[in-house]
Amino acid sequence: MVMPASRESFQGGVFHASIPGGRSGATLTIARGELIADTISEPSIRFSIPLNQCQIDLGGASNRMVFCRTAEGDLTIFCEEKNFAKELDFQSGGMLAGPLKELKKGLAADANRFRFWLTVSAVACALLLFLGYFGVLWTAKIAIRALPVSVDEKIGSMAFSGMEMGRKLEANHPASRLVQEIVDKLKPHASIPDLKFKVTVVEDADINAFALPGGQIVVFTGLIKEAKSAEQIAGVLAHEMSHATLRHGIERVSQSLGIVAAIQIMVGDVGGLVALGAQVAQTSILTSYSRAAETEADLEGARMLNAAKIDPKAMADFFAMLKEKMGDLPDAMAWISTHPQHETRVQSIQDHQKKLPVVQYEPLQLDLKAAQDAL
Amino acid sequence: MQVDIRNRPSFANLHVQLGAGDRIIAEAGAMATMSSNIEMKTRFNGGFFGGIARRFLGNESIFVNEFSASSPADLVLTQPFPGDMICTELRGNTLYLQPGAFIACEPGVRMALGWAGLRSWIAGEGLFRLKLSGSGRLWFGAYGAIFDREVKGELIVDSGHLVAYEPTISINVGMAGGIFTSFFSGEGLITRVRGQGKIYMQSRSFDGLAAWTNSHLM
Ligand SMILES: [Zn+2]
Repeated sequence: MVMPASRESFQGGVFHASIPGGRSGATLTIARGELIADTISEPSIRFSIPLNQCQIDLGGASNRMVFCRTAEGDLTIFCEEKNFAKELDFQSGGMLAGPLKELKKGLAADANRFRFWLTVSAVACALLLFLGYFGVLWTAKIAIRALPVSVDEKIGSMAFSGMEMGRKLEANHPASRLVQEIVDKLKPHASIPDLKFKVTVVEDADINAFALPGGQIVVFTGLIKEAKSAEQIAGVLAHEMSHATLRHGIERVSQSLGIVAAIQIMVGDVGGLVALGAQVAQTSILTSYSRAAETEADLEGARMLNAAKIDPKAMADFFAMLKEKMGDLPDAMAWISTHPQHETRVQSIQDHQKKLPVVQYEPLQLDLKAAQDAL
Repeated sequence: MQVDIRNRPSFANLHVQLGAGDRIIAEAGAMATMSSNIEMKTRFNGGFFGGIARRFLGNESIFVNEFSASSPADLVLTQPFPGDMICTELRGNTLYLQPGAFIACEPGVRMALGWAGLRSWIAGEGLFRLKLSGSGRLWFGAYGAIFDREVKGELIVDSGHLVAYEPTISINVGMAGGIFTSFFSGEGLITRVRGQGKIYMQSRSFDGLAAWTNSHLM
């Protein structure tokens, strides 16, 4: 047996019909213009292909497998070792370099195409997920706004019964009557005519008032005590009533909506929404709205006051008074904590007032002093 | 060592008759029954890290068991899903196996867990593959029936159906039709195999089972 002249041997394989099973692993050598394969199976069988008859191909699972086939295609010798292609090319005198290079180029182009499609698909998937996620949230928000006001009322009364508050004043208490009369005066000008406003005055030194969804309004005795005029109380009430008519509570609920709740609402589970709303209300988020909602309530409140022939300036006055008070009464400023940015608010109310129809304002015929003395 | 595949094709299992001094390596959970004189040794499969990777990513147990006997003994090996099994003999050549298909091999067969790549993953064949090389008989199973195909050139197979293939075969993913057809016909992705060598296919796919099960759960 002539020893091969190849500098090294390679591990590869052979396909040939004469081998049991049609294939075998083989030790490959390149010598005197021939590619030689000695099968690993016992007994070893030798196959060879002259390099000048080698039909070269590249591929396999790794894309690095070099195939050398006879023209008839009945014998194939293959190997994916790193230096095999180089050695094959070297021993063939550069004959196989051209075809190999072409094949590599083809595979590289294919890999690039794959990478391109992979990237495109990944981006498309991410985009679909993104759009789907926000699409559901957005649709749920619209669906929430389309819900009847009775849903607001349910959320409001659930939140109200779950809140811890001071002693509620009797309905015939002078302070309760004062607040009720102001609300009655403003009510005809509310943007939702059939909203049932319910007023409760609560014994609490904090200067605070808030509206729950559905028109449940709570005024603290601290606010009545500190007010300089009935008009100032009217200003706060108009602002709070506007939160209810603008449905800011339910908007807040929809903002804090998770994707699961959003899907629930879209499939019509309003009970779930009410429960969620009451839960949100427990954490007092319901009464702290976004800055945009506050501005909206200011302007709508000013409109209501104006329509009720009450000077909207009283609302701005109240803010100004709160700002003054802030220095010496930091703990009593509950309303301020949920209603910051006084200067800009006073300014925007005054600007807005100029756009409202000119009305002859009538002072409120209410005895604030008597209400304050009864507290 | 005499090995028979019994109860073909639906609930195939391996009946191994070990002679004195015979050994067989099997997937850790495959043993159903064995004679009391069989010695069972557990070892890591394909090295420690290979084993770890196989456990977490290759969806197969980290250990393989080696069964040996000093006197004639019986052993029955099964697979966890209904389907056929097949025997093939390695003669210095290599076979890539989808993780989970491996059942048993003779001691002359070497095992390693390799990265199969994103194409393989997209084609529903997993990110990893078991590389079996060396010499000796090898048994693997499939979900449903197994059939092999000698490829020379290009062949299109449904994704998730490829169980094993030789390293002389390249795997590519493609769409059955256009994007639209692929998306709505359910045919979706297809696997394009190219090269020369053998591929082994299973008649059913786990994705198909999952889809069928889902449709009956609602
Ligand atoms: Zn407010």
